[in-house]
Amino acid sequence: MSNTQDLQNLVNYGLVKAHIAMGLVFFIIVGLVGFLYSLQLDGIYPFPGIEFLSPGRVRMIHTAGAAYGFLVNMFAGLLYWAVPRFTGYRVLSDALGWFMWIALQAAVLITVVAILFLGQADNVEWGETPWWIDPIIVFWLLLHLVQFGAPLFKASQRGPLYVSGWYISAMLVWTPLVVFMGNMIPRFWSAGAGAGAVQSTFIHDLVGLYVTPVAWGLMYYFVPIIMKKPMWSHGLSLLGFWGLAFFYPMNGVHHFLWSPIPMFAQYSAVFATVAIEFAVTSVLINFMMTLRGSAEQLKYNVPLRYMYTGAIFYWITCFQCAFHVTLTFQKVIHFTDWVTGHAHLIMFGTFGLWVLGMAEYVWPKLFGKETMYSKGLSEGAYWLLMIGVLAMFFDLTAAGLVVGFDWIGLNPWIDSVNFSKPFWYFRSVLGIMMLTGLFMYAVNFWKTATAGKGLSAELRSDSV
Amino acid sequence: MGKMERFSFVALVAGVIFFLFADFVSWALPMFVLKDIPMKTKTDLAAEAKAKNYSAWADFEKLARYYPEQFKKFCDYEEKFAGAGKVSNCAPNEETFAKALAIGHRWYVAEGCWNCHSQDVRPVSNETLRFGIPGVSNTVSYPSEYQNELQAPVLWGTKRIGPDLIREAAVHDIDWQVAHLYDPASTSPGTNMPGYPWFFEKNKDGKLVPNERGLAMLVYLQWLGTWEVKPTKEWALK
Repeated sequence: MSNTQDLQNLVNYGLVKAHIAMGLVFFIIVGLVGFLYSLQLDGIYPFPGIEFLSPGRVRMIHTAGAAYGFLVNMFAGLLYWAVPRFTGYRVLSDALGWFMWIALQAAVLITVVAILFLGQADNVEWGETPWWIDPIIVFWLLLHLVQFGAPLFKASQRGPLYVSGWYISAMLVWTPLVVFMGNMIPRFWSAGAGAGAVQSTFIHDLVGLYVTPVAWGLMYYFVPIIMKKPMWSHGLSLLGFWGLAFFYPMNGVHHFLWSPIPMFAQYSAVFATVAIEFAVTSVLINFMMTLRGSAEQLKYNVPLRYMYTGAIFYWITCFQCAFHVTLTFQKVIHFTDWVTGHAHLIMFGTFGLWVLGMAEYVWPKLFGKETMYSKGLSEGAYWLLMIGVLAMFFDLTAAGLVVGFDWIGLNPWIDSVNFSKPFWYFRSVLGIMMLTGLFMYAVNFWKTATAGKGLSAELRSDSV
Repeated sequence: MGKMERFSFVALVAGVIFFLFADFVSWALPMFVLKDIPMKTKTDLAAEAKAKNYSAWADFEKLARYYPEQFKKFCDYEEKFAGAGKVSNCAPNEETFAKALAIGHRWYVAEGCWNCHSQDVRPVSNETLRFGIPGVSNTVSYPSEYQNELQAPVLWGTKRIGPDLIREAAVHDIDWQVAHLYDPASTSPGTNMPGYPWFFEKNKDGKLVPNERGLAMLVYLQWLGTWEVKPTKEWALK
């Protein structure tokens, strides 16, 4: 794959561009609606009394939009880049790719209209899409399976797949199963505690069996490429993957500890969650040892820095999880902002930063340029996003502890709201910071795409 | 090890076998344990509320008495998405109660109430003292109270900004609920819950009253936990 022409024939640049661009647009939109919702908690919601902008509905756009608008678009775009390049085969069909692109945007927009204007949300967290659109999403995910499964299957006829291939192959099979299970079974084939067990499994599986494997698959592709060296240990890669594949699907019920779900399921979820931290740590050791000797690249290579920052946040989140998944911690932190902080550190701090880093690496190449338009915007966006999300994590974690102990103390309910307010105000300020970072990132993207002549790298010898 | 790194092996073992094993442990087995709890439809719930004279039944009759004009409109109101059609026998009966639960539940979900209000009293952290019903019931949430159509998917929620609602019937009366739904700050100073004015309309005299969706929502809210509330003394004497 030495010459560019071969690679261009392998990758459909248009699809990569279209998915990443829409992913970025939705990232900004879900960020804005999240910020809007935070204003309600601060008591300064700008659109009170307007039915279709009711904060409750807006919050569902924040979560469902982050799943299908932002993450699926971003990951699909990056898969269109990475999968053909590491397998050496094109995706199944370009026409199918464009059809899927249109279908995905349509599904997201229909979801937005249904939730905001028609009031047809579904009370499955992270599956707020109306139930009648869920079979369509499952069908889309089956197309996704054949689209990316084709090159992976062809490549594995020749020999073992690279690490990324395992993660992505498993994810392609898991995702339609997960979405079907989580949205259909609680509605049509169960109720109550049984439905709760399915829903909690779904919440966690969408993170653990879609977002996590696709993101780690891409990490295993981009990190060695950027550093121009192989992963440190193949054995640890195997351990990490099979550990994740076995334990992650069993984690879900930890979302509803102390609930009416039978205790054996709760205990198994706690056990599996603690177990998965070992798998995660093995993956992290592998990445950190790969970095050894190349760490100075983090100083000037922004995409790589995004990836390692995200990786460290990932480990923090998982380490935190090993503790707060216990029944003891759950007494205090369940139902509090602690969980919100945890969710933002993993979704924004890890997966958000990763896709931004990967997209920033890919984007100039898609337009035949060597580097992004502005180093300043690139650096500025990184620092705003990184500091913003980390501070939000600490802010909400602290808020969660305060509120959790306040509830145990049986103080009047309104006290917990009042105690939260300083934390919520600060969270909104951080939201502005993160949104500013995202806007800077988007401006940089736009300028890179539209810059007239090829942008050349400042540090030619170190450019990647 | 080469075989482990093929598409088909990964897809079959990790993608399907591990996934099914985890689902078996996480929810299929729990469902099997819970399978003997009867599943109630909305009609069953309405019949139960009437037969046992739940507090929600009294609230329902009260709403019909307070807002006869809107109650009439509520009977004619159709909502396909909630599976609720026109009711010809327009009175506080089982049919209209089931319809109110259906429409109320639908908007409870659609407005994202469950984003800030849980419906799950845990056996820890003094939650039974806060949310249980003093002197009447001190129970934590138990599986059978969720085994009905209105808990599919279940409405436990994962975040509380407002209090838990699964024992709401015992906490506030219907008048409080009407005022609170329109303007939460009027009954709960300092709250950051938004108001829901679109569940209200002006009647002939220009007074604000709950509309057909509002009535249904109020019935649903006052139904939550009503099965744990003992009937009042006057009723027991009759």
